[in-house]
Amino acid sequence: MSVRALWIISYERGESVAVRFSRRYPTVEKRAKCMAGSLYVSVPEDGTVLQLLLTELGLSDPDKPYMALRDDCLHQQRSPALELHVEGPSGGVLWPVLVISQGPLILACLALVDAPADPRPPLASLFSVSQGLTLLAGLQAFLCGSGSKPDREGLTSRLAMMPSILLQVCPLGTPQDIPQPGASSASALPTPAGTQKQPAWKTGLHRGRAVVNVALTEMVRSMQYGNRNRQDLWDVYGTVTCKCEVEGVLPNVTVTLTLPPNGSPLMDVLVHPCVSSLDASILTAISVEDCDSSAFSGPYKFPFSPPLEPFRLCSYTSQVPVPPILGTYQLKEDDNQLRMTVSLKLHESVRNSFEYCEAHLPFFNRDQMGSVDVKVSSGQLEVSKEKNLLVWVLGQKFPKSLEVSLEGSVSFSGQLPGPTDPLCTDLTAYIKLYFRVPDLTLSGCCVDQHSVQVYSSAKPRIVTSRELLSSEYYIWNSTGTAPVSSGHMML
Amino acid sequence: MFGSIMSANWPERISAFSRSPSQFLCSTTSDIFLAEVLRELRDDRASDHIKVLLLSPLLEHPTLLCPSVSVGEETALELMSVFAQCSPKSLPLRRHLLLALTSVLLCSCCVSSHTSASQDFLELLLQTAQDTNDAQAGAALRPLRATACDCLRELEACLPGLLSQRLELLSSLRQQENSGLHQAYTGLHALALRNAVYLLTQQKGAGAGDLKAALGSNEGFVWGEGADSAHLDSESHSDLAIFSPLTLGPMGKVPSLQTGLDCKELRSLLSSLLEESYLLTSLSQAALLRGLVEVLAMVPAVSPTIFRAQLLRLLGTCKVCLVHTTLLMKAAFTDSLFSAEDEAFLLKRLVGLSQHPLLSTPEKLFYMDCILHFPENRPISCGDGDESLPVLLTPRLAAALVPTVFNDSVSMLARLNLLSLVYLEEGEEDGEGQGGRGLAYLYDHLTSLLRIVENQGSREMVVTFFRASFLFLLHFCHVERYSEDLSQRLCDLYLRHTRLAPHLINLADRTQDRLEESGWAVALLKALQRTITEAPLSQLTLQDLRWHLRILARVAEEGEVLQRATLNFLLCVITSSSSALCVSGDWRLGNGVLGVCRRLLLHPSLDSLLTPLADLLQHLTCHYGETDIQDHARLYYTLLTTLSREKLAGVLAQRGAERGRQAKVRSMSAIMAETEELTSGLTVHQTERPLLRLVKLEKHEPDDCKPEHKPESESACESESSPGQGGIEREDYRAQFQSPSFASEITLQYHLTHTGVHDPRFDKLFSIRLHFDLTDGHYEEVSDISVPCLFRTRKPPTVRLRLKPKQPYHTTLRASAIFTTEDGLSWHSQLADLHVAFPEVFLPFLAPLGWTREQKQRVFEGIWGEICSEESEGDLTNAATSLFCDQLEDSAMGELVEKHFQRYLVSDLDKGRCKVLFFLPPQSHVLLKIITEEDAVQVHIATDNWKLLPYINSYLEDITKEIHSTQQVNGDV
Repeated sequence: MSVRALWIISYERGESVAVRFSRRYPTVEKRAKCMAGSLYVSVPEDGTVLQLLLTELGLSDPDKPYMALRDDCLHQQRSPALELHVEGPSGGVLWPVLVISQGPLILACLALVDAPADPRPPLASLFSVSQGLTLLAGLQAFLCGSGSKPDREGLTSRLAMMPSILLQVCPLGTPQDIPQPGASSASALPTPAGTQKQPAWKTGLHRGRAVVNVALTEMVRSMQYGNRNRQDLWDVYGTVTCKCEVEGVLPNVTVTLTLPPNGSPLMDVLVHPCVSSLDASILTAISVEDCDSSAFSGPYKFPFSPPLEPFRLCSYTSQVPVPPILGTYQLKEDDNQLRMTVSLKLHESVRNSFEYCEAHLPFFNRDQMGSVDVKVSSGQLEVSKEKNLLVWVLGQKFPKSLEVSLEGSVSFSGQLPGPTDPLCTDLTAYIKLYFRVPDLTLSGCCVDQHSVQVYSSAKPRIVTSRELLSSEYYIWNSTGTAPVSSGHMML
Repeated sequence: MFGSIMSANWPERISAFSRSPSQFLCSTTSDIFLAEVLRELRDDRASDHIKVLLLSPLLEHPTLLCPSVSVGEETALELMSVFAQCSPKSLPLRRHLLLALTSVLLCSCCVSSHTSASQDFLELLLQTAQDTNDAQAGAALRPLRATACDCLRELEACLPGLLSQRLELLSSLRQQENSGLHQAYTGLHALALRNAVYLLTQQKGAGAGDLKAALGSNEGFVWGEGADSAHLDSESHSDLAIFSPLTLGPMGKVPSLQTGLDCKELRSLLSSLLEESYLLTSLSQAALLRGLVEVLAMVPAVSPTIFRAQLLRLLGTCKVCLVHTTLLMKAAFTDSLFSAEDEAFLLKRLVGLSQHPLLSTPEKLFYMDCILHFPENRPISCGDGDESLPVLLTPRLAAALVPTVFNDSVSMLARLNLLSLVYLEEGEEDGEGQGGRGLAYLYDHLTSLLRIVENQGSREMVVTFFRASFLFLLHFCHVERYSEDLSQRLCDLYLRHTRLAPHLINLADRTQDRLEESGWAVALLKALQRTITEAPLSQLTLQDLRWHLRILARVAEEGEVLQRATLNFLLCVITSSSSALCVSGDWRLGNGVLGVCRRLLLHPSLDSLLTPLADLLQHLTCHYGETDIQDHARLYYTLLTTLSREKLAGVLAQRGAERGRQAKVRSMSAIMAETEELTSGLTVHQTERPLLRLVKLEKHEPDDCKPEHKPESESACESESSPGQGGIEREDYRAQFQSPSFASEITLQYHLTHTGVHDPRFDKLFSIRLHFDLTDGHYEEVSDISVPCLFRTRKPPTVRLRLKPKQPYHTTLRASAIFTTEDGLSWHSQLADLHVAFPEVFLPFLAPLGWTREQKQRVFEGIWGEICSEESEGDLTNAATSLFCDQLEDSAMGELVEKHFQRYLVSDLDKGRCKVLFFLPPQSHVLLKIITEEDAVQVHIATDNWKLLPYINSYLEDITKEIHSTQQVNGDV
């Protein structure tokens, strides 16, 4: 249940590749050696590990179209664990090297195999694998900070903190915790040990006014084909984020999610480990099987004792009967010109009050746009600077009819070739929608301010909010071939 | 004493060390580096920050710096004294010191050797850990306590059972602690408990009473044997089981402790641990649960249902480590904890998690892996570790995981693999073996990938497509509808994108290896041949032709494929008037054509190809605009027309069977790949194992400079030098060094012999050339050594290895040999590394010709005096003196001198005294004055190179230890 070594690598395409931090755990290595016996392969130096890792990830020698070591079709990387093939007299296979990458960062660790090495035990039987993955994900979140991409300076300063971070979370190769984002200084002031056992995941105690903030965010995805033979798809997933500033070592808070009558049940519910107990009925609905209309549909009670920092209390998925915006997209090719017709219709049940709503129409594998002769019934149309994208800004409201349309033609007579995309060739094209509706959820799920219970001396201020966001909301051109996005409807 | 010349810029040096220890140690040695690190750690002027940095080599590479128990022990003592002198405020430094101590003591086997430093360290850790609730040292020291617990836990992990007699103490510490630190105590307690229970299962007849006693025990440490003990190397499962009893019992059986029903104490302990598990971080909680699962699995009297209260919480969690623990729990207890409904729910949950929009890709991949190794309550297969589908995974359920073009490559392949398994079963059920709609979907998916490749998909996409194709064929090669269509599509793809030739060849090779009987690969190659040869020549570009030749060469390796079409195609290309090929004289293209021809020469249908092949070769000979190609074509032509089939095959097919597919075997000859088999005599082959070895000869060869050559009674010389002339003699002595080659080398002698590997091919070896590579910067490059021959039946030849030190340190040489076998093939073979020990660098006194013993002694005293006076002058010189003491009896002393110093004596052993001089090329001296008094021996050491002191010391330690042991043996006898 330990890791033998850990690497943090920065990789920027065409730029520098370097091991920015590495850590070896020799006592774990000793155990590994003992377990593996004659199959033991020692961990090579960082430079070698980097090369092997890049080869396995298919990132080495990006200029060479084919390299047998890198591109062999026999070599099926199908799990989060890689094999590194170490050459030389003490060579062999290093396994399982767990890898997580995000943006320019690659994090890797070599997990301990605490079972006989031959025959190779299944990955799923090795306890160290989930421990390693959790550790890597925690380190990644710490290094990347709040944004999805770490900034250079921030990354450098956080990398410099790694030795002291590891001293806390993984001093001798056995992960015990993950770093708290931005909270490393808070641990400097330990609270005196009281009479009640303090949770290990709570770094201190809150003092001051009690505030509980519960925010519900729903994301809606959709694939609309405008084709009789192909069913449109849409789904919703939501997260409940809490920030609880409540006094006490182990204060009790309960948040309750409720659905409107006839609301379809929340599925795939995942909860934060601070949730202290769960009703079995909350977990029963699962999206991968047919939904039972008589299933439990709330109220969903989540009793928990909050950590100090903001956290994701729970997440769910939901299947709603209609997509919020239904669209059609039709293209006709005429010489070097595309004639297009688009219509978008807001469903009447959706609150017509957007923070923003935009439709993006990108064009690939064509020259830049020349003349654009397009009319819209509502909102404004903009042409991107690169002349390969139409942006239809719909603003805050759909018109009374709840329907908007776009019609016209675009010629591709520009000087320069536009961007390429292997998927969107010929008439395969899409519109992508971006919108946010405050104070709305599609599933109807909500957190009532009065349903938040806090068992503490002071009466807390309770703030709740909800919002709907689009995510991967595509409308495909119905006159071209569109890629399949899920087999569920096909089979 | 020696100044801090090197101390500058520690951060840079430490980071250079971490980046590549081996490279770093080229410029120094580990002993010197260790000494420097320790000195700096003791220095009060160095900041805590630097000291923490200095500890990292010890923390991460303890075995490099402390290769032996004794060095580890000394280092640990040093670190403990640094720890003791630290200001209590230097918390990070003290924590890192504890970690470094743990690393050093465990890795240099001090703990398993039960050394005094490790005992002291353990006491220190326990003492630190016992201050629960900050009663004595205050909350500020809480992190130090946490680290002490971490160290104890690692010690227990590496030496299972170490704390097994301290369970009472650990339990009370855990219960008392109320700060967040209780997590550290819990982890420690749970691990010690698990190991203690395991040890009980291994005790014959242990029962409830023993368990109770163990739980309440508070005795000392149990210095059993741990990760580094020798008997564990035997790899017997039951020994290793202590590290992981659940997976490691013999035959997959968990060792169990028969307690009867009476184990109240254990039960209450377990439930108190479980109750508090909620207060731990997910990672620690998972580790605790897994430890408890193991305990329960070993004590069948306690029912696993005590986990039930935690189960829902675990099933609902978003943390991968907790879900995983639940699965391991299920694997351990199956239906005694999980009902059939639980099982169905868990599987559905796994499928849901495998495609959950909020989870990361690695997590989803891991869950998919878990589906393929799902711990079923009643598994049908024997669970041999292979991927298999759980019975409950229906096609309907699995449909959530169908691959799409929107997946990233790894997820897509994982999904394709999983769904292939699902539809393979479905296909079997539909009776016709043709697969149903699911399979149709997968094939559709494959063709969408192919379309993306066709539309200039990225390099990654190309690789992914070929991997997906291979995966598809692996499962559905038998479904002709799809496999035939795929090969047709691949041909079309190839014609549009000939650069994919290497991928196609790779796919053909791999499918042929894995699906030998299917014949799909041959069919694909046949189709490719047709595609190439039937395409209109007018559209052929040189670039395409280059790839075509690669493909055709591969096609020509297949005996079943008729080659007439290939030959016609080549003839057309070469002879057609429009082709500028012959005129251009492009060597690579010409070589490509020859590559195809050479394979055709070996083709079973050669007889029918004779005339066109001869025509082609003749045309090349006469018209190709490149001489080398002409020559080769002429050679092939001659071979074809004069040799019989058998001989032709013999000449060409040296390595017929292995087609050099291994990408690893790449050499200079790669560019000549197409002619390599003909010239296989020129290729150097690699032996799999070392065939040769060098065996050290102990006998010393008379040194080149012949120091003791002249008989000492030569009085003529004596008269020339009168007493008091020591200074002049010293100058004479030094003058010798003016000549740069003087005494700059050491010569070591070895026998070159065969290793134990017996292979008659290698019984007689000729023209052996030994090559040596340095592993550090202490020596000049070593020149190769030639040995005419080596026969297994004859006396081994002697090899004299001359080494020219830059620094007189021990070293390791990488040795390899190139030789020829009787059949004329050349071979390259690695030899075991050659270790040159420190004493092997010694040369005796290098007196000029004809010197008397007295003269030598005067020089000896002169040098001694110089060293002593220089040393006292200041710390910038290299001079140093030291003293080594040991207990040795007179007889032992005699043995010591005779065995080790004879060659280097400046004065004979007289009344227990003697003088010894080691000269170490290029310029260093080590002088010893040995004095025995009663049974103690003092060795006074003087050297003009202080860096040698640690080596001298360990050398003296080694030889005295050896003498002690032989004396012991003699005494015993």
